[in-house]
Amino acid sequence: MEIYVLVKQVPDPEAIVKVKSDSELEIENKYFTNFFDEIAVEAGLKLKEKFGGKVTVLTLDHRRVDALRRGISMGADEAVQITDPALEGSDPFAVARTLSAYLQNKPFDLIFTGRQAMDDDAGIVGPAVAECLGIPHIHSIIGLEVDAQKKEARVVREVENGKEVLICPLPALFTCQKGLHSPRIPLVMNVMKAMKAQIKKVDLASLGLSPTEVGAQASTIKIQKYLPPPKRPPVKIIKEDFPENVKTLIKLLREEAKVI
Amino acid sequence: MPNGIWVLVEHQDGKVKKISLELLSAGIEFSKKTGQEVGAVLLGSGLEEAVNSLTPYADKIYWINDTLFIPYTSEAYLAGIVPLVKEHQPSILLGGATSTGKDLFPRLAMHLQTGYVPDCTGLSIEENGKLTALRPLFGGKVFAEVGFSEVRPQMATVRNNVFLIKEHPDRSAQIISITPSMDSSLLKKKVVGFEKAEGTKLDITEADIVVAAGRGIKAPEHFKLIEDLADVLNASVGTTRATVDEGWRDLKDQIGKSGKNISAKLYMAFGISGAIHHVLGIGTCKTVVAVDTDPNALIFNYADYGIVGDLFQIVPALTEELKKVLAADR
Ligand SMILES: Cc1cc2nc3c(=O)[nH]c(=O)nc-3n(C[C@H](O)[C@H](O)[C@H](O)COP(=O)(O)OP(=O)(O)OC[C@H]3O[C@@H](n4cnc5c(N)ncnc54)[C@H](O)[C@@H]3O)c2cc1C
Ligand SMILES: Nc1ncnc2c1ncn2[C@@H]1O[C@H](COP(=O)(O)O)[C@@H](O)[C@H]1O
Repeated sequence: MEIYVLVKQVPDPEAIVKVKSDSELEIENKYFTNFFDEIAVEAGLKLKEKFGGKVTVLTLDHRRVDALRRGISMGADEAVQITDPALEGSDPFAVARTLSAYLQNKPFDLIFTGRQAMDDDAGIVGPAVAECLGIPHIHSIIGLEVDAQKKEARVVREVENGKEVLICPLPALFTCQKGLHSPRIPLVMNVMKAMKAQIKKVDLASLGLSPTEVGAQASTIKIQKYLPPPKRPPVKIIKEDFPENVKTLIKLLREEAKVI
Repeated sequence: MPNGIWVLVEHQDGKVKKISLELLSAGIEFSKKTGQEVGAVLLGSGLEEAVNSLTPYADKIYWINDTLFIPYTSEAYLAGIVPLVKEHQPSILLGGATSTGKDLFPRLAMHLQTGYVPDCTGLSIEENGKLTALRPLFGGKVFAEVGFSEVRPQMATVRNNVFLIKEHPDRSAQIISITPSMDSSLLKKKVVGFEKAEGTKLDITEADIVVAAGRGIKAPEHFKLIEDLADVLNASVGTTRATVDEGWRDLKDQIGKSGKNISAKLYMAFGISGAIHHVLGIGTCKTVVAVDTDPNALIFNYADYGIVGDLFQIVPALTEELKKVLAADR
């Protein structure tokens, strides 16, 4: 089974992120491999263990390859970095077009991505790659069984009022949600090995893309302005003793906040 | 010239979902500024009741009538929507930031080669029809105003409870029934089963009120206290990752970075410490109440009202008192 996993190194949810100016953020240098992407890697590894084959981790990033090393240390076989200065400022659609250009002629059975990247929280790249490649996708899966013979997958997806079970032919792309798997913690030895692992570098020209097809100028959405989050007024601590505090809370919710 | 503010209407058991009415209401406000038509698009068969209920919320209702649209799959929806969008060239296409919206919109936008802004918490429009979307990034640590290049339609999905529903009884939308020529071989995926969530409560992303408990509740059976409170308030029950990982609660009720973002009018947190991963999921709730024994619990930094106290004392008292107060209202 040929499996590709799209991975991205993103600021840790605990990293401090602040607005520096209308067009610039200040991001604390505290990165990790996107939480959902590790789940995606795990999904790939589980299938490889069952059916044999190969797991390749792929990232588009011209600075950080840590997510690739994380993938290798977990057990991925190969790592590919798409890197080109012209990619700077790409929106998720331009990212998806570029990743698809790489994947296009590969003989894959499955592509896994995270449900969303914990920086832009967009959840666009997965479904957009599937559209470019003309394969089915299912977003936010929490269950997966593959029938390699029949070349199809039985997938569970979370919806608002329950869980949906789908049958999907392969090749396909699935975006992974918590609950699908707990990602394995790599052995120290493998982490060391991954530090030295070969990473294949790919640039735009070798993908047959021109710089005008990616980057800021090719993007269909554009951040016009960053804003700090709306500030909540300071908390009102209700200091009365029980049970008056409960009565006061209800009164405040009804008369001041007007929410019940 | 692209013209039209369209909303992809979601329905369940033949009824229109609240989020769709919220978006149509916003669309009507926008149309007052831009003079554009408001269009409601819905797909599926047996939707007479849903279609009729939409007439005070739009100028045109495009009902694409075929059995293949229920249950939802992206292939069927794409096949249904794309020709309609190409024919009428709406300027805007909105949807809910729901399981359907999040599955469909990125793919649809890629197909139409247009722009899409996901999971918005605000939208504004200029007279010339240019849309600006407001959305949280990094889980809500910062926000961004996002615009579109010259591409149309401008697509966005929006969270629940961002806009208020407003009926326009003077409007009476024209219903345009479309019978598409659907080829069922197009549908690669098939929905073969559905496991309905227990109970009748709304999903935490859809509920107006969410009450939640974390590890402070100490044992899964104590969630009964929270359920009782939820029943009185007609609320849904949320939780933290800690209790989900313990196996006390279902993942679908987890609020936060690796769970769901909620935007309830009222969120009440009991025995929840307020880890950043959790509070990132409640950033757009209107009013937040926190009850925790630890006066230094971080959750108080994100709350409007707080009580330092024991949830085992507060929650039952709150439930009883609310029963009285709300009964007196009726
Ligand atoms: C990558 C990543 C993603 C994560 N994603 C999420 C997520 O999506 N959602 C999420 O919730 N967490 C998430 N977490 C976990 C998060 O960091 C916290 O561990 C978790 O939110 C803590 O849950 P808690 O508040 O229930 O438990 P605790 O932190 O243990 O807090 C329990 C609270 O209960 C109080 N308490 C105890 N007894 C009582 C009593 N009798 N009455 C009142 N109060 C009492 C205590 O004072 C304490 O404040 C994530 C973590 C990581 C690393
Ligand atoms: N630059 C990237 N390189 C590789 N994969 C990516 C990249 N950006 C996003 N992805 C994948 O797409 C998923 C969704 O990302 P996003 O659409 O940015 O929320 C992530 O979880 C990754 O699996």
